[in-house]
Amino acid sequence: MGRRGSKLLGILAVVALVTAACSSSDDGGGGDGDGGTIKIGASLPLTGDFSQPGGEAKRGYEIWQQLTNENGGLLGKQVELTILDDASDQNTVVSDYNRLISQEKVDLLLGTFSSLLNLPASAVAEKNDMVYVEPAGGAPDMFSRGFTYLFFAQQATATHQGDLFSQYILSLPEGERPTTAAYPTQDDPFAAPVIDGIRAQLEAGGIETVYQTVYPPETTNFDTIASDIKASGAELVAHGAVFEDGIGMIRSFQKVGYSPASFFETSAPSNSSQFSDAIGLQNTEGIFYAVSWHPDTDTPLNAEFVAAYKAKFDGAVPAEDAADGFAAAQVLQAAVEATGGLDQAAIRDYLHANSVDTILGTLSWDETGAPQQAFLLAQWQDGASQIVLPEDLATTDAIVAPKPDWAS
Amino acid sequence: MTHLAQTLILGLLIGGVYALMASGLTLIFGVMKVINVAQGALLILAALFTFELWTRTGMDPMVAILVTTPLMFGLGWAIYRLFVARVRNAPISMTVLLTFALAITLEGVMGVVWKNVFRSVTPGYFTRSFHVGGLFIPQAQLYGCGVALLMLGLLFVFLTKTWSGRAIRAASENAQGAQLVGVNVNGVAAMTFAIGVATTGAGGSILSVLYSFFPASHYLWISRLLGIIVLGGMGSLPGAFIAALMLGVAEALTQTYISTRWATVVPYVVILVVLLIRPQGLMGSKLREDVAA
Amino acid sequence: MTLPRRGLGRIAIGLVATGLVLYPLIGSANAYRETVLIQIFLLAVMAGGWNIISGYTGYVSLGQSAFLGIGAYTVGILSMHVAVSPLLLAPLGGIAAALIAIILGAVIMRTRGHSFVIITIAFLFLMQALALNLPGITGGSNGITLPLPDWSNDTQQLPFYYSLLGLMALSVALSWWIRRSKFGTGLIAIREDEDKAAAIGVRTSVYKILSFTASAVLIGVAGGVYAYFLTFIDPRGMFDILVSVQIVLAVLLGGRGTLWGPVVGAFIILPLSEATNASSQGTHFVLFGGLLMAVVLFLPQGLVPTLNAFWARRRGEPSPRRPARVAAEPVPVAPYEDPHDRDGLPLLELEALVKRFGGVTAVDDCSFEVRRGSITGLIGPNGSGKTTIFNLVSGMARADSGRVLLGGERIDLMVPWERAYLGMGRTFQITRLFRQMTVFENVVAPLPGFSWRQLGADAVSGPEAVRAEELLDFVGMAEFASHQAGHLSFGQQKLVELAQILMLDPSLILLDEPAGGINPTAIDRMTDLIVKLNQRGVTFLIVEHNMPMVLGLCDPVMVLADGRCIAQGHPHEIQANPAVLDAYLGRGWGEATERLEV
Repeated sequence: MGRRGSKLLGILAVVALVTAACSSSDDGGGGDGDGGTIKIGASLPLTGDFSQPGGEAKRGYEIWQQLTNENGGLLGKQVELTILDDASDQNTVVSDYNRLISQEKVDLLLGTFSSLLNLPASAVAEKNDMVYVEPAGGAPDMFSRGFTYLFFAQQATATHQGDLFSQYILSLPEGERPTTAAYPTQDDPFAAPVIDGIRAQLEAGGIETVYQTVYPPETTNFDTIASDIKASGAELVAHGAVFEDGIGMIRSFQKVGYSPASFFETSAPSNSSQFSDAIGLQNTEGIFYAVSWHPDTDTPLNAEFVAAYKAKFDGAVPAEDAADGFAAAQVLQAAVEATGGLDQAAIRDYLHANSVDTILGTLSWDETGAPQQAFLLAQWQDGASQIVLPEDLATTDAIVAPKPDWAS
Repeated sequence: MTHLAQTLILGLLIGGVYALMASGLTLIFGVMKVINVAQGALLILAALFTFELWTRTGMDPMVAILVTTPLMFGLGWAIYRLFVARVRNAPISMTVLLTFALAITLEGVMGVVWKNVFRSVTPGYFTRSFHVGGLFIPQAQLYGCGVALLMLGLLFVFLTKTWSGRAIRAASENAQGAQLVGVNVNGVAAMTFAIGVATTGAGGSILSVLYSFFPASHYLWISRLLGIIVLGGMGSLPGAFIAALMLGVAEALTQTYISTRWATVVPYVVILVVLLIRPQGLMGSKLREDVAA
Repeated sequence: MTLPRRGLGRIAIGLVATGLVLYPLIGSANAYRETVLIQIFLLAVMAGGWNIISGYTGYVSLGQSAFLGIGAYTVGILSMHVAVSPLLLAPLGGIAAALIAIILGAVIMRTRGHSFVIITIAFLFLMQALALNLPGITGGSNGITLPLPDWSNDTQQLPFYYSLLGLMALSVALSWWIRRSKFGTGLIAIREDEDKAAAIGVRTSVYKILSFTASAVLIGVAGGVYAYFLTFIDPRGMFDILVSVQIVLAVLLGGRGTLWGPVVGAFIILPLSEATNASSQGTHFVLFGGLLMAVVLFLPQGLVPTLNAFWARRRGEPSPRRPARVAAEPVPVAPYEDPHDRDGLPLLELEALVKRFGGVTAVDDCSFEVRRGSITGLIGPNGSGKTTIFNLVSGMARADSGRVLLGGERIDLMVPWERAYLGMGRTFQITRLFRQMTVFENVVAPLPGFSWRQLGADAVSGPEAVRAEELLDFVGMAEFASHQAGHLSFGQQKLVELAQILMLDPSLILLDEPAGGINPTAIDRMTDLIVKLNQRGVTFLIVEHNMPMVLGLCDPVMVLADGRCIAQGHPHEIQANPAVLDAYLGRGWGEATERLEV
């Protein structure tokens, strides 16, 4: 009797869980179906490895939707956003976009976050002849497949993200320019090409590479690497980080007592208060990073975007990923309004032939969907991040150099 | 030469912390022949508790150990009674699956409650170091290692000098024999599991200072811990200690002298090599069932 | 009243299969639903593979998803260098998976239980690390992009749909074939009791490697197809431990070790995963982890067996009993034909055997002989090393030094099944039958030899069935032939175990306490059988504590104490031997037996 009882319990438990699962999923089951809205579908990593930037991108899309609907909508219709969670998983992102296209029958698509997810997702869009504007995903492989419907809504691909930094370093006079450099980077399809690009340019400019390493994404202990970099005596460090490793490396530098005179790091420093809270505000002084966006630049809708974001999210300053999401939506919006409809081929052709003004600045693309502009070079100064290059978008004239020692 | 010494120091310090984390896992295995794959997730949970204490009350993580350890002890007891006890007599693979499922569930719960954001605890000393003769000894690592060794020492004393501890060791060697001399083997199993999980309390608190973490980090930790207990001999506390130091040093050396790429592979290679060549590890006892027919 | 369940089941399967084949051709199909079905098929293929190694063979692996990655990367790498459609390259993915499985299997199948599980996890992560850290070959973390298929938009999903549907069908077919073959019976025997399986002639080393390979090959092919479907593969996506968890969950939920369990499980788990996808952070994991926990705790058999049992209960007990038959003649047992056969020569020789366990010397320089055609007894106090001697002779333990010879041939270095092939059988103190199998299946399980062709043969052939029936008659257990072995009483199990061994045509049978724990009538029966078999030429070596039985049945009798043979001779000599009396029988015994003897 006990065995039968436990089997019954087992079946009940399973049924209960299955029912709970099905009922908690509900949404996305098709809107009201009225022809008065435009449906835009996207998948984002709201859980899993990329959940941090994924969450921000979602906010960016939502703010854009809010502002657009307040101003009369798109083509006079209200915008409806369907966002699915791909859990940072490639299999899920493929079925997500298939679902958005075939099941939800959305009118327009927006991309997901990270090259790793955008690579398979963009293939689904391409197979279905739908325009795919992605807010993030600048790895070189994205643009080598001959896709025509793909557009990257940032200023440059990964390899060129550090161009302005390299130019700045090489422009320094003899005495001030560093002579040796270290290049640690995470094995990430986005971060690594950035550092490779910088290294190539600096080596060509005569700066000696005294240390380089590629570490796996799971690395959590950077003390040894920091110790090795210190032992190499490098004057400049260009670090390809995603987020946690950027924090970890800086902490390790502090621990081993090493402070490079020039320090460039990808991604991590753009996370405003999360970054400064993690390493200590005083320690941010002088750190360079390349960024696609800054809250104070005078670009179309930027002020409105920042204000709306602050109002909705408790006064927090938007993260770069949110701005990228907003910009991607702006690109799509511009093409839709310019072509006056939802024809994917027309939108595609428009974007290939024209440039679009966004909160990131003006964007335009080549035939592979790769953008032609340059990233902004930013630097933390006095506890706030400033744009230092290019000069026409700079928010300050000063550049802090050399980087001061860690404050402790 | 200094560089080598620096690398070794870093490896040893980290190894001490690994030892504390692995001690619980090997203890549980020794008595119950259960591999608690959820140990990594419990570490992260303890780290999150420490984080909460830190952000709400400013309690130093090393002090927080006094809170997290009993908390995790209670949680371990509950987990044993509710889940593990039911599969005591099932094939070993089912218990592994159960604890694996538990790990995933915990990861989900942590994600829901704390969100999938990287966190770390940042008391003043977390980026400071002592300078000793050209070498840098990070303060957080030193304190962490010191506390870890202290906890291990307490554990050792408990196991050798108290009745409960002896009961645990007896049940570990020979459950039937222990039962015959009056040891309540079921109660011992529950207590062992609870103690094993309690070590994650201390381990997690230390972890919170040394590393950034988020719910999915547990995979890294359980891989590392498995490598340690396999190398040390599953069930052997001294073995786990030595293996933890070895692994810490091996990782540090691989990172510096071979390449960072291959450093994270070290635990897996250790697992494969040890289980194939010398399944009982350095100091484990050779189980009669492991004899290859 | 209702259709026989078997027929109903087949009709249902046929309907579902037809539905799946026709589905994409119906107008209402859309790409999304096809994608979901594609992923279901993929999970079913992987689950089916897992079921072979972990369901039938009982070796739980958490790393089978590695073969998906291996297949995917094989196709990905090849497609970078060769201008052939990746779909055609997919079988090569299967071959790569099979090769790696053979190599890996040969190495890791020596471990058991939790060691095996840990190794499979380490293997998965190691594969991922290799894919990450060898960018020259695998593209590293950048992954590999495959070209977009160039067929039209309307039919873009169909080749993938049908390839994976076909693979799923193949997977089920493979599973079905294994189950009904001798290979499958051997695997289940290994799962139930590996050492016992080895002792009755199952060549476990080969079986296990084959099982592991069979479980990997279709997953590899599926990996190749799936890579093309995604058009992008990278180490993290292709070597994902969560896929392994899904596989395990699908099979456990459906029913481990069953034919349709993996498919049923896949059809439940994948849509569930899809449905919970849009929910909030972490809930997905909680649901899946919770579901797996619930299944492990409350429904470990899975749905299919539970439903089967429920159905069977509703329809009443199956299988009529076979009428009891009186044993007519003992079954002829062919005596061992040794070219050097000469009367009186020892069949079994132990020379200076030593076996230590840590600090304890269980067997200490033990030597004795068992004469051909004798019923030799082996007695001694507890802890004198009797069972260890048996283990050394039958191959379950390896001696530290010394030799064992069977018919003049040295066997102490042989694996257990080879000793079985040479004609040695052994029973166990606590009977070791395959409890989940029926009595009949247990008796048919032993294999007198190994051949590759035999693996594919039917689990039970005609002549074997006849012989098994005869043997069951001989031991008097014929009416229990269709009962589950685990339901028998202890004494009944001993008789079945004896029948099992007799299938091997042994020349030497080692009996470990045949009279232990059974009632006097059963003891008499056992003694009777031993005598009959001995008259036909079977040699016996019997360990026993039941003194009247030993002294009445055995001649000579060896006495073991402290791991060595301290006396041997005729029963009455042993009784009187002071050393023996000292060590074992106690001084009062001699007087007691004098009183018993008339």
